[in-house]
Amino acid sequence: MANEPVGVLIIGAGASGAAFAWSIADTGASVLCLEQGPWMHQKDYPTNFMDWETRAMGPFATNPNVRGLAQDYPVNDSESPIQPLMFNAVGGSTILWAAHFPRFTPGDFRVKTDDGVADDWPISYETLEPFYAVNDRMMGVSGLAGDPAYPPHQPPLPPLPLGETGNIVARGFERLGWHWWPSDSAITSTEYNGRAPCINLGSCGSGCSQGAKASTDITYWPVAERKGVQLRTNCRVKEITVRPDGMADGVLYYDADGVLQEQKAEIVVLACNGIGTPRLLLNSKSTRYPDGLANSSGLVGKNLMHHPYALIRGIFDEPLHGRAGPGGCTFWSHQFYKTDPSHGFVRGYSYEGTRGMGPATTALWGMATGKVPWGEGHHVAFDRLNGHTAGMVGITEDLPDEANTVTLDPELTDSNGIPAPKVTYTLSENSRKQLAHAVERGTEALLAAGAIETYSEPLIKTAGWHLMGTARMGTDPKRSVVNEWGRAHDVKNLFIIDGSIFVTSAGVNPTSTIQALALYIADRIKQNMRNLFD
Amino acid sequence: MTMNTNPLADMAFMRAFLDTVIPPGRDGRMPGAGTLGLEGGISTAVESDARSGSLVRAGLAALAEAAASTGEAGGFPALDPAHRAKVLDDVLAEHPMLVNAVARHLYLAYYQHPTVLVAIGEPARPPFPEGFTVEPTDPELLAKLVSRQK
Ligand SMILES: Cc1cc2nc3c(=O)[nH]c(=O)nc-3n(C[C@H](O)[C@H](O)[C@H](O)COP(=O)(O)OP(=O)(O)OC[C@H]3O[C@@H](n4cnc5c(N)ncnc54)[C@H](O)[C@@H]3O)c2cc1C
Repeated sequence: MANEPVGVLIIGAGASGAAFAWSIADTGASVLCLEQGPWMHQKDYPTNFMDWETRAMGPFATNPNVRGLAQDYPVNDSESPIQPLMFNAVGGSTILWAAHFPRFTPGDFRVKTDDGVADDWPISYETLEPFYAVNDRMMGVSGLAGDPAYPPHQPPLPPLPLGETGNIVARGFERLGWHWWPSDSAITSTEYNGRAPCINLGSCGSGCSQGAKASTDITYWPVAERKGVQLRTNCRVKEITVRPDGMADGVLYYDADGVLQEQKAEIVVLACNGIGTPRLLLNSKSTRYPDGLANSSGLVGKNLMHHPYALIRGIFDEPLHGRAGPGGCTFWSHQFYKTDPSHGFVRGYSYEGTRGMGPATTALWGMATGKVPWGEGHHVAFDRLNGHTAGMVGITEDLPDEANTVTLDPELTDSNGIPAPKVTYTLSENSRKQLAHAVERGTEALLAAGAIETYSEPLIKTAGWHLMGTARMGTDPKRSVVNEWGRAHDVKNLFIIDGSIFVTSAGVNPTSTIQALALYIADRIKQNMRNLFD
Repeated sequence: MTMNTNPLADMAFMRAFLDTVIPPGRDGRMPGAGTLGLEGGISTAVESDARSGSLVRAGLAALAEAAASTGEAGGFPALDPAHRAKVLDDVLAEHPMLVNAVARHLYLAYYQHPTVLVAIGEPARPPFPEGFTVEPTDPELLAKLVSRQK
């Protein structure tokens, strides 16, 4: 049976797809979302089980190449020092994310003007501000208002407790007179909209059994479905089809039984993340668009940005009980966020405070770093680490570079035979300097906090959780893929709403900005309904 | 044990090996890894570990052989703990990844075992549904932040 054509077809039910679906449903148009993954269930998350640390490294691993689930597609990352991470299900990568929820700062939208590098965004913080606020309410954000690093905003819920891990490191920042502030966290600190408060399970990165962490399957999707949005799971889109006039016609997708289906739509919206989206555009070749859809600029898949991460960890005499609590949500610091000529690099980075680890992870980390030996000295060394670590990560601003790409791998495919993406990425000299600075100064902060020993990794390999820039936004069709409200320059009924459209990356986690953008684009579509394709 | 048996299938050997990697704590608080019934699961995990299964098999065979060459009739399990550790240490010169390859599985099994969790002061239960308590934000720190609020 043929599928009924729909008004709006969204591909991908993650952070951006969910927010967009919820908003666009207001139009009364028929809205359908196709998602390659299934619904997740809180009862299946690792923290329900004794062996939660093992499960977190297997079926809930952050790297799709390690998980290898039916709904995952492989990513060839052999030419990248950073492994791309994601999750494929209703909720997308928010199923596994840490929910550290900073906004971009106003200056992040005008790096060319301020620092003479990369490009300015065609929109500003002020454009997104109302959508950040709506999104904070929908996701259920906890935080403390008044951070001097940001324009004023009021998180709807009180901040999460710092715990001893956060307290001890924050005292180090205080001693140095550095900026720090409790992070905005998309985790409920109190009961909120039917969601229970956080009970500090300590393994946000493998799914929240409590439902306190805002993954979009429990925030936006239930409300979007009540508004009439249809969500079809286990449906993997193979390509976007085009009409003879060059407009998008709909998609071809494989359903749960592996049968190729056709779905027609008036508007197609891409929300597959910074790797999935360029992959799909490049897989949508036609006589009219031989280089892939929306690619007349040649920029689809180019300018891939991550946030290269540095890890700085301290070992403390004091017991810190760090395995409990949201691991990535204590505080942030913008001390080294802005360009300062004395740093020797442009732009900057933020710090994100981190708590400790579970016992098994502590032992494995101890083995990998040579801090926990086998044999006689094992227990003493383990006791010194377990519950005694706290620290931070440095999140550096990655500048766009056309040589960092997502392309189609000539051989690798997913389980439906669709060509898989290949990531080619080189760490820039600027990022390298930022990372080294983050390690050096972060170590200083931990020593000021009283750490008896410090450990650092100047580049975390398994930290490609932010995927941006591969279908950038701009006003010039020769220098960008979508316009200033997410519409493809080449295909006027095709929109892109995920991190692909970022012009620059800022030095903070991207998801509140991704979702604010998705809401803003939905709003612009609603405003421009009458002349949407002009 | 004879030289041509698979050491991964010899549970007495495996118990002795695991007890050498994580021996009982001196004060009696921590159990040895060989006393918790983990050996079967570890053997299976190592056998199916595409990355290092063959490496571990070769290393354990070398360990069994080295133990036999000490003249101790009962092989590796019959050696006293200090002697076992010495023999293992010697074998690591030729098989440097042996312990780490096994420990990748062993540490997960050991540190999620209820007995071990209790011994290190953790509750022997999954994190959900009871969860954990986290200390509140230090009021002195909070007061400083409030004074800086924009
Ligand atoms: C371990 C981890 C920790 C993170 N922590 C943080 C954090 O603390 N703070 C923060 O801001 N961000 C964090 N992130 C990043 C955050 O999760 C992403 O920025 C965000 O989810 C991206 O939203 P998205 O909508 O672009 O893509 P996603 O949320 O990844 O969703 C994309 C969806 O598209 C689907 N899809 C892709 N291709 C197809 C296709 N062909 N057909 C059908 N469906 C398809 C996928 O299955 C997926 O569900 C983290 C990510 C990870 C993996």
